[in-house]
Amino acid sequence: MSVLTDLIYAGSDAVAGLTEGLVSDAINQYGAEKTIAFPDTAYFLPTIYAATGVKVKTLGDLPACVDVLKSLISKKEDLGEALNAGLATAVGAEIIEALKYVGKEDPYADEAGIGFVPDPVIRSLGVPLVTGDIPGVAVVLGKAEDASAAADVVKDYQSKGILTFLVGDIIDQIADAGVKMGLEFRVVPLGHDVTAVTHAVTVAIRAALIFGNITPGDLPGLLAYTKERVLAFVNTFGALNEIAVSAGAGAIALGFPVIVDIDLAENQVPGALESVLDHKETVKHSLNLRGIRIKIKEIPIPVAFAAAFEGEIIRKNDMHAEFSSQKNPAFELVAMRQENEVEDHKLTLVGPDIDGEAPVGLPLGVVVEIYGAKMQADFEPVIERKLHHWLNYIEGVMHTGQRNLIHIRIHKDAYEKGLRLKDLAEALYCMVMDEFDSVVDKCQVTLYTEKDTVAQLLDTVAMPRYDARDERLNSMNDESCDTFYSCILCQSFAPSHVCIITPERLGLCGAVSWLDAKATKELTPLGPCQPVPKEGCLDEVKGVYTEVNKAVEAASQGMVQNVTLYSLMQDPMTSCGCFECICGIEPFSNGVIIVNREYKGMTPLGMSFGELASMTGGGVQTPGFMGHGRHFISSKKFISAEGGVERIVWMPKELKDAVGDKLNATAKELYGIDNFIDMIGDETITEDPEALLNFLTEKGHPVLGLAPLM
Amino acid sequence: MPFKSTPQPFNAAINAVTVGVGDKAMTLGGENVLPLYTFDAPISNPPKIGFEITDTGLELAVPGIAALYEGAATIGERAKKAETLEGVDFISLKFAGADPNGENKSAEDCAAVAKEVAGATSLPIVVEGCGNAEKDAVLFEKVADALADKNVLFLSAKEENYKAVGAAVGLAYGQKVGAESSVDINLAKQLNVLLSQLGVKNENIAINPGSAAVGYGFEYVASTMERIKAAALSQNDTSLQMPIVTPIASEAFGVKEAIVSEEDMPEWGPAEQRGIDMEISTAVSAIAYGSNAVILRHPESVKTVSSFVKAMTE
Amino acid sequence: MALKGLDIFKITPKTNCKECGNPTCMAFAMKVAQGAIPLEKCPHISAEVMAELSEATAPPMKTIKIGAGDKEFTLGGETVLARHEKTFVSKPLYAVSVCTGQSDEKREKVLSALDTIDYDRIGERMYVELIEVNDGTGDKDQFIELTKKALTYNRTLVLSTTNAETAKEALALCKDEKPVLNGATPDNYQEMNAVATEAGVVLGVCADTLDALYDTVAALEGLGNKNLILTVSDKSMKDAFAFAVQIRRAALKNNDRTFGYPSLVHVNRLAAGDHNMQTALASLFTAKYGSIVVMEEMTYSQALPLYGLRQNIFTDPQKPMKVEPGIYPLNGADENSICMTTVDFALTYFVVSGEIERSGVPVNLLISDAGGYSVLTAWAAGKLSASSIGKFFDEFEIEKKIKNRTLVLPGKVAVLKGEVEERLPNWNVVVGTNEAVELVKFLKEFKG
Repeated sequence: MSVLTDLIYAGSDAVAGLTEGLVSDAINQYGAEKTIAFPDTAYFLPTIYAATGVKVKTLGDLPACVDVLKSLISKKEDLGEALNAGLATAVGAEIIEALKYVGKEDPYADEAGIGFVPDPVIRSLGVPLVTGDIPGVAVVLGKAEDASAAADVVKDYQSKGILTFLVGDIIDQIADAGVKMGLEFRVVPLGHDVTAVTHAVTVAIRAALIFGNITPGDLPGLLAYTKERVLAFVNTFGALNEIAVSAGAGAIALGFPVIVDIDLAENQVPGALESVLDHKETVKHSLNLRGIRIKIKEIPIPVAFAAAFEGEIIRKNDMHAEFSSQKNPAFELVAMRQENEVEDHKLTLVGPDIDGEAPVGLPLGVVVEIYGAKMQADFEPVIERKLHHWLNYIEGVMHTGQRNLIHIRIHKDAYEKGLRLKDLAEALYCMVMDEFDSVVDKCQVTLYTEKDTVAQLLDTVAMPRYDARDERLNSMNDESCDTFYSCILCQSFAPSHVCIITPERLGLCGAVSWLDAKATKELTPLGPCQPVPKEGCLDEVKGVYTEVNKAVEAASQGMVQNVTLYSLMQDPMTSCGCFECICGIEPFSNGVIIVNREYKGMTPLGMSFGELASMTGGGVQTPGFMGHGRHFISSKKFISAEGGVERIVWMPKELKDAVGDKLNATAKELYGIDNFIDMIGDETITEDPEALLNFLTEKGHPVLGLAPLM
Repeated sequence: MPFKSTPQPFNAAINAVTVGVGDKAMTLGGENVLPLYTFDAPISNPPKIGFEITDTGLELAVPGIAALYEGAATIGERAKKAETLEGVDFISLKFAGADPNGENKSAEDCAAVAKEVAGATSLPIVVEGCGNAEKDAVLFEKVADALADKNVLFLSAKEENYKAVGAAVGLAYGQKVGAESSVDINLAKQLNVLLSQLGVKNENIAINPGSAAVGYGFEYVASTMERIKAAALSQNDTSLQMPIVTPIASEAFGVKEAIVSEEDMPEWGPAEQRGIDMEISTAVSAIAYGSNAVILRHPESVKTVSSFVKAMTE
Repeated sequence: MALKGLDIFKITPKTNCKECGNPTCMAFAMKVAQGAIPLEKCPHISAEVMAELSEATAPPMKTIKIGAGDKEFTLGGETVLARHEKTFVSKPLYAVSVCTGQSDEKREKVLSALDTIDYDRIGERMYVELIEVNDGTGDKDQFIELTKKALTYNRTLVLSTTNAETAKEALALCKDEKPVLNGATPDNYQEMNAVATEAGVVLGVCADTLDALYDTVAALEGLGNKNLILTVSDKSMKDAFAFAVQIRRAALKNNDRTFGYPSLVHVNRLAAGDHNMQTALASLFTAKYGSIVVMEEMTYSQALPLYGLRQNIFTDPQKPMKVEPGIYPLNGADENSICMTTVDFALTYFVVSGEIERSGVPVNLLISDAGGYSVLTAWAAGKLSASSIGKFFDEFEIEKKIKNRTLVLPGKVAVLKGEVEERLPNWNVVVGTNEAVELVKFLKEFKG
């Protein structure tokens, strides 16, 4: 460590001394009243202004700045302190560069570099930086041993839309290699002196002032902004002197990692100062280190890709190739991996492609492997479900099914146009990166077409993964989680309705599970699903939480103040109108009936589904009545405040058949009752409340022994 | 027991957003009551009336509008004439010609037009784009630069281009950003939050949560605006307290009732009056549900709606 | 706070006797809670309990019926201040005004327009429902003559006079048609009440201030009359709006039932002679809290926006407006023009047809029954599918009626393409745009 800090302090000292000397020379030459300013900026000497709030206007303002600068060089054996000394170098460099403009209109007139970057340019650069159109900023400085390798690095940045600033002799090396330069080409030479790096620094700093609303003088705010929002990094080429190291320390202080091409060995600081000796790795490593991802605009495959192709049906005679779980082992899997297990944009085909005489029939294993700092295993199925859509979006590809039951056909025309299996992988990769960029950092896609390999992967990798997911779904319960989710997807037609989604209570539409809500929140942070901390429990049995009430009140704009999670009688959850089922109390038996949307007949309550829906929907609370999803019926949390599923006395036959097995299991577990479903009435038994009561008595339905509901 | 007439102002208020510079600058919002409820508390910034000028001059097809502009050859001269109209609070300059599917005028040309209009009037200026999100982002940046010191409101930043528009208009040039979302309170809220996260301050944001002519899904507009005002005022939801700006002109003059000629529908009477009635009815309804500013196309509508606002708030 | 259904259920006999016309006591209780039927329908609730509860179950704003037969209308009965909270139940009615002393020419113009403006918009008849007869001169005979004339136009009348004698004679002509008698003031309410009660008609109450109006209503209620309409101030626009809002707010929000009546707004007096301002005010009071909106006249150019606005605001927010399924030929389309299909949700229809009209390209727009949902919602609910489209083609014999064989689907349901092709094998099925605004370009460039 000490080698590094020594170098930094030595460089800072050198710059401080140089600055001090130049300042006093200038004052001697021009007088303290002489104006000092960069051209076309409202931010004075931007680094000094942003860091301290001081507006340098004349040479006489400078000595105080030099004192501040010197005070930053503490010489303490501590990396943080040393980085501050690096900031001193940045300030010194800024003063030295500003002095060049004293008494000269354009000190860079005879230079390949442009020197100071004026405000209007920053304004115009700011927009693409904010929108990500310019994905990042590279500052490349030094003199390369191998000029062509350096040029390749810069060209690579250029092709990715990265804005590259050049400082030092590398400017000439890059120019000689024929790289087009200028703002419009996003390769900008700043100057040959190492102090010209300040012109890159002030760009970042003014971006913070203009686009980050940072108050001048708010140094912590400034450093936080440049670190988090200005996606810049530094590449150095060639040997480093202490001034360059010290300037690099300044970059690191601003949050910009420095990648050097000499071996720093143990002096590397992971994440901030790293050596990459192989220039072929420089770009990739730099982008990774700064977390810069390049957006793909068009998917490079030989056929069109659009939602319009989703409905395409490929008939047997038109088909060139087919993958079908009916005929061959086939599966698709999205799996989360460790960072070192995934190489971004690696597309691999293991086994034969679809070349040959139609119809080609092959096994297929589609494995999409993902790494992401924010990725969670729970998102795997969410992304996996999208594979179906994406493959269908490809012109000439038809896809049905999921997991290990899939069926894919490829059209003859698409094959003629050159579509091959790798293109499928490319499309999947691009869409994963496009739609799930908030959670996916790296993605690789591998397609397997050898029968044995596919069969083996299916057994050893895919099936265990599917089973684990199912297991997790079944084992999740409200007790073991610490967050619920609110969902307001339906508010456009039921303005005051809010669903609270818990692991054991999915949205009443039946379409949004707790996992879906969680993923929705992660993927669209401001979207319809928001986390609700499971805190402030007021009543465990009824499921009353202060945080839930707060969330419901806020999301319903004050229309609903209190909801219970598990009670039908007290503040039941509201319903929008899209509920799959309605449950309502049946007073004669003290139980509840459940009716599903599809059932058109009458219920023992004397009301049809439609009539019940009209009083339950629209986001109003109607104690005794509640909308819910089908899956909720067999939940242990179903109106558990009132005793749970043993309150159920009547359901339409179709619904009984659909949920019977699970409901029986729940009743067995909760009450030790066998074949509970047989105790429940339906329309083939009776639609009359009195006859229903007789039926329940005859069957010995447990509800008859329960406390009254009201 | 006598009637208890208790004023019911709220503890929260709509943000006051100032557009334009100098004597004629206008402030939108600031009220702590529901729209036009002066009996609850005074409304110091009554809803404002904008007059729409398009770069293509498409509105000149209406005789009453053409009459206003008699003798005006350039868009600058048109702006000058528009300024003299009684009841106009601001000029809304719409770049219909920038549409890539239409004339596809360049952003630079539009910026020159904007400069010309700004030079001709001292009224506050609202800039309306062509509606193409990508083009508007480019267009607004150039116009924001050209009108750098005019404190202009840009309509609008949408979900697709809010980053570019917010950064260019709101951050780089410190102008006012109009956030447009599609008739849904939650979408409106989401866009406002996204803009604030980008760094645009709340006092620099106005919103257009959707507009429609009456009879054409106006109920969604009405309910969305009512809910936004309710959330802003009774729930003190700071992400919905932005004043609402509603472009009425193209909606009102875009529906069949205003377009079909008298020859085709003799019993309907002259098309121009139908356009005026459609515009007045839509504008007043929008104001009743929460618009803090409306943008109109016909001088007669301006006259009526401005006297209406005056009578209701003074 | 209205009672919840279960609270009402508790006081029913719980015998399911069905005498109230409902199959169970629970169904009865839930309907009472919704305000759909009165508690009195149950013959088994004791008078004591009934009295105790009638106040709690009574709606905050009374439902007032005016007119008779096919000219009967319902006013009031609202339970919410904003349509998104629940549903508005009674749309405002428009009236035109005739007045004694006004020129014949003017009167003719007002009345003759009544026959012209009578059209259908998404299944609703749009016309001026009411005529107000005004006592401009105070001359009884003129008023009677004018009433007679107005009666020939087959509209329900609002008789506006503060003269009880005049009122009595006019009512003798038409009380069976249940006109509104408008003109009870703090000074004459007793006489007017006697006339209105005897004739069995709704009485309109006017006063200069909200306080005076309130006291007069309270006095009339004291006399047993709860069949009232409240006329808002015609002193200024601002006052009129203040009256309308505060009356409605007092009733619905502050639960003050004395103001729980519909309102009548004289737009004709607030902006006499100003056509455009009347459009403005009629719009304002349609949006907020006018029950009867009186205008000097109704022209077609006013009717088009006003009826559109009213239809929008007074739809049930949970029930979308629907257009009739069928073939809609646009831009002069004939059997050789291409077909496009979309759902019957009125807004979708209007937007899509509007854009097609803007394109100028002849298109047969095919609207099938999709439950009144938007494209994606209908698709998700299974109401827009290959089989629903196929069924529509069979029922409306599209293949017989149209020779062209190109069908454009909404872009959002591209997924249906394959199935539609299978269901309609003779058709070239094309996926259209996701958004209606893209249609103009799509159609202009379409070579199908």
